[in-house]
Amino acid sequence: MNETERLASAAGSRDPRVGLRSVRSLRALAERLEELQVGNARELGWSWQEIAEQLGVSRQAVHKKYAGGRLSLRKDR
Amino acid sequence: MFERFTDEARAIVVAAVAEARAEHTSHVGTEHLLLAILARPASTSAVALGRRGVDAEVVRTRLNALKSDAAGDDLDPDALRAIGIDLDAVRASVESSFGPGTLDVPAGSGRRRGGHVPFSPRSKKVLELSLREAIRLKQHHIADAHLLLGIIREGEGLAAQVLHESGVDLAALRDDLEHDLRQAG
Repeated sequence: MNETERLASAAGSRDPRVGLRSVRSLRALAERLEELQVGNARELGWSWQEIAEQLGVSRQAVHKKYAGGRLSLRKDR
Repeated sequence: MFERFTDEARAIVVAAVAEARAEHTSHVGTEHLLLAILARPASTSAVALGRRGVDAEVVRTRLNALKSDAAGDDLDPDALRAIGIDLDAVRASVESSFGPGTLDVPAGSGRRRGGHVPFSPRSKKVLELSLREAIRLKQHHIADAHLLLGIIREGEGLAAQVLHESGVDLAALRDDLEHDLRQAG
């Protein structure tokens, strides 16, 4: 079996150990990248609203996750 | 308490905060204090560490290894390769944008909003202990050597771990530092 076939077979594996481990790692990677990218966007002056739109989540959700959630009622900067 | 710090010690603390901020971590840890000490190679502490073969590069390498181990459980390169993701390539890309080690800091340790990076409880303990060491040695000011003594006495933070794993005899280092401090008067 060559490398490509081996990888394809792992991806299609029905052993939950393999598949779930991949999901776990992918989630950890996504979380880390999200953190870095949100931080970067904020440093560049992006608003929570703009960030939320790119992430496909609500402004409240991203603010809560990264800034403690105490949004004021005025228009978000 | 900071008014009793020497200019050098104060500069080290400030540099430790800057380092933590640059790494996008959530708290200033003992490892940031150690790196800040080593960034001042003329300081008593850095000289004492240098005598034992410890410099900034040695510490950074060990810290990266320790942090990768911690994240190792979650970021499994083989598991990612199984779905077509080359973790090394992702890491290289991230590090070229955000700096060394930035992929491997565990998620959830992200910096708080506003740029203020607090000290970890352990780092606060180290600062407290540095004061106590100065008092114990009957010295009026808290110098960089007292900071390192505080790190040694706290004994369990990343900084102490790294020193220990680098083969430093912490008791002997402590004796060295006390000797250097007494010499300086």
